[in-house]
Amino acid sequence: MIRSLRDLLLFFQRDLRIAGTYRSPFVLEMIEALFGAAMFYYVARFVDSPQLRETLPQGTTYFAYALVGFSFFDYLHAALDSFDRSVQEARDTGTLEPLLVTQVPLPVIIAGSAVYPFLATTLRIAVYLGWGALLFGFPLRAANWLAVMAVLLAALLAFSGMGILSAAYLLLFKRGNPGKWFLLSVSSVAGGMLFPVSILPDWLQIVARLNPVTYALDAMRAALLEDAGIFQIARPLSILLLFAVVLLPLSIGAFSWALRRTKITGTLSHR
Amino acid sequence: MALLGTNGAGKTTLLRILATLLLPTSGSAVVAGHDATRDPAAVRRHLGYHAGSDLGFYARLTGRENLRFFGRLNHLPEAKLRKRIPELAERFELQSALERQVRALSSGTIQRLSLLRAIIHEPKVLLLDEPTRSLDAIAAGEFRHFLKSEVLRKQGTSLLFASHTLSEIEFLADRVAILNEGELVALDTPANLKTGSRAATLEQAFSRLTGHSAHVLEEPVSS
Repeated sequence: MIRSLRDLLLFFQRDLRIAGTYRSPFVLEMIEALFGAAMFYYVARFVDSPQLRETLPQGTTYFAYALVGFSFFDYLHAALDSFDRSVQEARDTGTLEPLLVTQVPLPVIIAGSAVYPFLATTLRIAVYLGWGALLFGFPLRAANWLAVMAVLLAALLAFSGMGILSAAYLLLFKRGNPGKWFLLSVSSVAGGMLFPVSILPDWLQIVARLNPVTYALDAMRAALLEDAGIFQIARPLSILLLFAVVLLPLSIGAFSWALRRTKITGTLSHR
Repeated sequence: MALLGTNGAGKTTLLRILATLLLPTSGSAVVAGHDATRDPAAVRRHLGYHAGSDLGFYARLTGRENLRFFGRLNHLPEAKLRKRIPELAERFELQSALERQVRALSSGTIQRLSLLRAIIHEPKVLLLDEPTRSLDAIAAGEFRHFLKSEVLRKQGTSLLFASHTLSEIEFLADRVAILNEGELVALDTPANLKTGSRAATLEQAFSRLTGHSAHVLEEPVSS
């Protein structure tokens, strides 16, 4: 266990060093987050109305609602992108095979590839919310940070399952994957990113209830904007964890199977 | 032990099976007493592998950062790495490469870096695919001497390598496996291969055993 954590740290250090060789993106991302927060602030001012407030959780402004939705949707992006991007990069640079002949177990290699992207995404979210709080009145003081951390962890586990499935697809079929595109597209509408799923038609609400993004955003908004504790978000949190319990072993199994297939067909390093 | 054969004979495939990167369609492969198919993790604990290409490093990390990363993944303690990286870099004349990003290094330098990565954790079994292919004659000769004196004799590492360079094979290998179109044609000492096929040189022995003209192998270089 300690060895695995140490190995994860090595992957993080590797990615941090590589990211450090590109200096400007950090600054650019900070600026992008500022403009992103400003955009949601002015959109929220433009669309604000008593009717709109009725559809939102009590006491929540549309600015806070949309900013949380938009910034945490990044988590899904990070999960779906980081695993298959790391497989693709490792294959393109030829580092996949040297990694696979080291003594590090496959699940650690998979998890290691996602540590930096997830932490970077968390930092980016913090920057978004920080700008929101600093300049546009985002109510950071209302947050229950323990619950926020719990939602982050549960979302990370559930979304990772989907990301690893995506990487397994890429390993097998070599090209970008329609499942990922479909999930991102569906989640952007039926995930509660910019509007509550309650305004959707019934059939889309059913789709939304089958989507872990919906539960992650519900729980995150409650924890961040309404000071909800772990017990108050127990339902969406446990559904997220259920997704994680099902998806993680399934996805690691699928990835191992895909890896085995490529080792049989000799296409492991094929692009 | 050396693997000798023309292109497509199966040398790289065999090395990749033993390195647990390929699964055999039939049969079994045992490395350091462990089944490469059933227990690949156990095999990897004893393995050093060089794929023969100048890929396989993080281009934006320095040589030292790359070696440290892979060394740590092979569970080499930090203190030992701090000692071993400069030691080996000096032997391989890679001191300046340690501080430069890999993307700025030549193909031959990256190949030496890859050889260094394969041996840095002192594996029991070393698999090298055309280890001196991109090296100049001097670097190749020095590497062979280092391999023989330090890695094979002092550390007692078992070496299996594929090569087209007959002088390299005669210098390093006590046994040679000759492969032809995926089949093992002969396995013996270089001397016995020559005697058995009534050949004066290993080149002639190869021709007689496989039916291929020896010019399909690359010109030998001095060791």
